[in-house]
Amino acid sequence: MKYSNPQIPEGINTSKQHPLKEFFMLTAGVLGLIVAAVLLLGFFADKLAHHIPFEVELKIASKELLEASEPGPMQSYLEGLTERIVSAQALPEEMPITVHYVDDDTVNAFATLGGHIYMFRGLVEQLPNENALVMVLAHEIAHIKHRHPIRSLGRGVIIGLALSMLSGTMGDMMANQIVSNTGMVTSLTFSRDQERESDKTALETLMALYGNVVGADQLFKVLQEAGGAMEVPEFFSTHPLSEKRIQHIHAFGRELSPSTAEAQATPLPLEFPNWLSLEADENDHEQ
Amino acid sequence: MIDLIILVTLLALGYGFGSYAESRHYKSIITRENTLRHIPAVTSRFPPMNNNTTDAALVSGSVVVSVDYFKRFIAALRNLVGGRVTSYESLVDRARREAILRMKAEAEQLNADIIFNVKLETSSIHKGRGNSIGSVEVLAYGTALKTHP
Repeated sequence: MKYSNPQIPEGINTSKQHPLKEFFMLTAGVLGLIVAAVLLLGFFADKLAHHIPFEVELKIASKELLEASEPGPMQSYLEGLTERIVSAQALPEEMPITVHYVDDDTVNAFATLGGHIYMFRGLVEQLPNENALVMVLAHEIAHIKHRHPIRSLGRGVIIGLALSMLSGTMGDMMANQIVSNTGMVTSLTFSRDQERESDKTALETLMALYGNVVGADQLFKVLQEAGGAMEVPEFFSTHPLSEKRIQHIHAFGRELSPSTAEAQATPLPLEFPNWLSLEADENDHEQ
Repeated sequence: MIDLIILVTLLALGYGFGSYAESRHYKSIITRENTLRHIPAVTSRFPPMNNNTTDAALVSGSVVVSVDYFKRFIAALRNLVGGRVTSYESLVDRARREAILRMKAEAEQLNADIIFNVKLETSSIHKGRGNSIGSVEVLAYGTALKTHP
């Protein structure tokens, strides 16, 4: 028997498939599955969370946030506006809205579990007229009306649980990150849908209260400036792009009343700037 | 957003450097395999029965090859759905052949004619490091024999 040592052809132990092809197929397949699963779970969780009674929401709302704000002219002005908006949006009686004015530089306002709405001075002081302020309030009250806080919570719990179950079994850090990031980015679509829904209700409220939607777009111009020059792509954002929201408002305004641009905005009360800072207010009293 | 840019950059770097290194390595493997072809490496546990052996020595060659980011990404996704982890196949193939080549190079220095009882050992170097490093070590060893002409 003669021993020979021939050259072995290449490609027996390796795959001839181009790595990029495999990369794109795997990425599309796996990410597509995750996106589909998250959308499906999110959809059903959202539907189910809608049936949670509002009293439950009141019970589970965080206790530290619940403290009533100190009474002041700004607080009572906001409460007055809230009352008007609540009746315009026809909120059911078992949904009490509590508005809190926060003396803080943050350019934000948010609604949370139990019908609590937080308005920050940073945002309020930049609003040019009452219409814009009502737009903010109406938007946040619309979140409560559509039960967005509890629906977000329910959805977040379900999606988070599913993603952590999946990534927990893989035992690979990189795969974990891919799965959880894809899931989170996907679930943001629900958040953007909620913002659009609230925007729509808020515009209808403005229409009902003032007969026009002037000032609504001014809110988003303020937000756009606060966001800085570089806006994150919508895909990665919890909110739709400010620009798109302004476009929606203009389209909506044209639909409802052709004379939107001509209409006069309702000015803020004259003493409004003095109400902004709670501390300065207290000092005034001391003097 | 920034996470995504970092991920894409890492993937591009991994793919670029990884495939360049791999194709260069394969070229070098193929040429050295041809030059060292005159030393057979066999797995038989017993020396050839021609009784003209003059000298025997242990020869070994080991290599550690690391996986690139792109390959790890593909493998991580592959772990979810199953199937051939093709991105790692070329890695371990290169490691095995390189280890055998280094063993043969040592045998050539000893003027050996054949290596018998060749064995391969592999170990992965990532344990206890939170999967942050994915390297494979392959060790090839055998007994080199010198024979009378």
